[in-house]
Amino acid sequence: MIQFNAICYRYPTTQWVLKGIDLSIDKGEYIVVCGTNGSGKSTFGYLFNGLIPHFFGGTLKGSVRVNNADIKDKRASDFLSTVGLVLQNPDAQLFNNTVENEIAYGLESLGKPSEEIDKRIYEIARTLQIENLLNRTPMELSGGEKRMVAIASVLCLDPSVLVLDEPYANLDWEGIRRLREVLRQIHQSGKNIVVIEQLMDCFLEDTTRCIIAKQGKIVFDGPSQAALNVLLKEHLLPQYPPRRNHRSPGKDTILEVRNLSCRIGNQPIFKNVSFEVKTGEIVAIIGKNGSGKTTLIKHLNGLMLPTGGEIFFKGKTILGRSPAEMAADIGLSFQNANDQFFKSSVKDELLVGPKQLGKKQDKWFKEVCDLFELHSLLDKSPYLLSEGEKKRVAISSVMVMQPKLIVLDEPTVGQDGHFREALARVLTILQDRGCTILIVTHDLDFAHATADRWLLLRDGNVVTDGSPLSFYNDIIYSKSDPYLN
Amino acid sequence: MGTMKKLDPRTKLLLGLITIAAVFIAQTPVTLILEGAIIIILLFLLETRSKLLQIMHLVFPLVVLIAIVSFLSFDRPAAFLISMRLFNLLSVSFIFFHLISPDEIGIALRKIGVPYAFVFILTTSLRYVPMMRQKIRHIMDAQRSRGIDLRPKLKNAANFFSLLMPLLVQSFLLSDELAMAMELRGFNRQNRSSRRQYRLQWMDYLLMITLLSLFGVFICWERGVF
Repeated sequence: MIQFNAICYRYPTTQWVLKGIDLSIDKGEYIVVCGTNGSGKSTFGYLFNGLIPHFFGGTLKGSVRVNNADIKDKRASDFLSTVGLVLQNPDAQLFNNTVENEIAYGLESLGKPSEEIDKRIYEIARTLQIENLLNRTPMELSGGEKRMVAIASVLCLDPSVLVLDEPYANLDWEGIRRLREVLRQIHQSGKNIVVIEQLMDCFLEDTTRCIIAKQGKIVFDGPSQAALNVLLKEHLLPQYPPRRNHRSPGKDTILEVRNLSCRIGNQPIFKNVSFEVKTGEIVAIIGKNGSGKTTLIKHLNGLMLPTGGEIFFKGKTILGRSPAEMAADIGLSFQNANDQFFKSSVKDELLVGPKQLGKKQDKWFKEVCDLFELHSLLDKSPYLLSEGEKKRVAISSVMVMQPKLIVLDEPTVGQDGHFREALARVLTILQDRGCTILIVTHDLDFAHATADRWLLLRDGNVVTDGSPLSFYNDIIYSKSDPYLN
Repeated sequence: MGTMKKLDPRTKLLLGLITIAAVFIAQTPVTLILEGAIIIILLFLLETRSKLLQIMHLVFPLVVLIAIVSFLSFDRPAAFLISMRLFNLLSVSFIFFHLISPDEIGIALRKIGVPYAFVFILTTSLRYVPMMRQKIRHIMDAQRSRGIDLRPKLKNAANFFSLLMPLLVQSFLLSDELAMAMELRGFNRQNRSSRRQYRLQWMDYLLMITLLSLFGVFICWERGVF
């Protein structure tokens, strides 16, 4: 059905990204293509419908034939009803003002009559169970909902192959479960599915074939069951250091959140949240997307003001202190590293915080660079780094201010296994040096590997507070929504 | 107001344009006050209380600022005319955008023959405004957490560069991705169909004729024909 013959490709300004790809895909396969950051797997996805070479330019050697048509002879828009590509960033993919217009867009491009468009919209919405979203604006939707709409927007064109670029990134465990179900269903309806992912999680068992890419080449291509060893060897399944015994935390309370409430407009985000963090602890705040985790941590350094309750840092209220003043005490590193880069070199970027605070400590700066392996990157532009490197720089830029409490917001999103393992190691080293760390995440494996204590945030409340082992098994191994248990 | 929502987008566009033109044409304080009164009544009818407060929060500081500047530069009657006209213009625009969605503006423009590419640029940029606002908030949070003071003070002026750069870079990235997404959904294909078939109903014709006649009468009145 699809044939890749001796494919080599490079973008106009890069080295060779793909270096000799040969494979054929038959009808009815459910394939997962995985590889670390920079392995060329997204580039591989762009070949299915001719985005490469027509959209990206560059040099393409070899041939790709989709249903006997060479992609060099056609444009991506000629493949609308053959190949559906779902992009990684749903914000770019969804550019209409309502979900139904979003689904209609491709059908209008094909020139379908309005009655048929309406019929298809309804059918596809029913299949993906998004009927209730049809009149909503895509931008208001949650991450999981956006992903479903993005799938609907290409699936409505009835392509025989569906290619998804990192569909599981940024989804919580419930979103992952829903998407797995939907993809299984689509596969059963006779379509080919190609999922491109950098981290192999729970969905390997759904697939029929696994392709592992490394530095532009295929290092494994075979049945999914046989891929496990290679996945472990290539760190596509992270192997975290063994959990240490639960450390007894320090006696001092570094952070106390007392009856904190937040309301945005008329919407309550959380109510009467209370917890304490002791010096030297690693605590994970876990919760589904939209449970208010990020909003909660924005209160810790004064970025947001609570509608009720108080926060105490080392026994003193933080009320009246600005985020700039708090930066020396509580370091917050947010999810998107690109939100903060504005200097021309990594070194300057790292020094922004210390300069603002007026404290420049060369020894600590060097230690942070050692810990996050940044020495070779210091003179590079932060924009030109890989995703993993960017994230390292972003976290370090907060670390160099030597805050007493470090808060990391979804540090593993969009990162490969190598990064996750390394970050878990670094956090334990930091803990040994007396740092207190708060991790906000829906990555349960990472939280399990690193945190001494979990706080589960649900419906705007901390519903469980305890050792990960006390409720980890329920969440992971039952493979169902922990909230139902 | 249910009837308003059902109107053809072309009728709504015409209605919007005529009302805005009427604000510009009005020359005398009496006309401007009359227009202002009608607009305020419409605002009360259309918007919820919180939305109304939000609108006034945006409109008033600007109107007061312009009133002061024009009073200092010209005289009191001129200041009144300019600020009253600005108030009417801004408030009318709010009403206009309440009644017509960016998509409807797009449909109306396409129906009157404006090229699709131009219409798409216009409607998409309107749609991405809330997202850009959200991005700015994220960037501000990230930078303030690093100790960068972004409060609007003169000494912080240089710090706003830290807001601008990430925003620019991310906007470029987004526009690249958007172009790719459009290509994937057949933006460049010929012979697009349109899902919604809009036909001008008798109500639209009636309203358009009434509006144009009223507008004609209004122009004559302003010019002192009567």
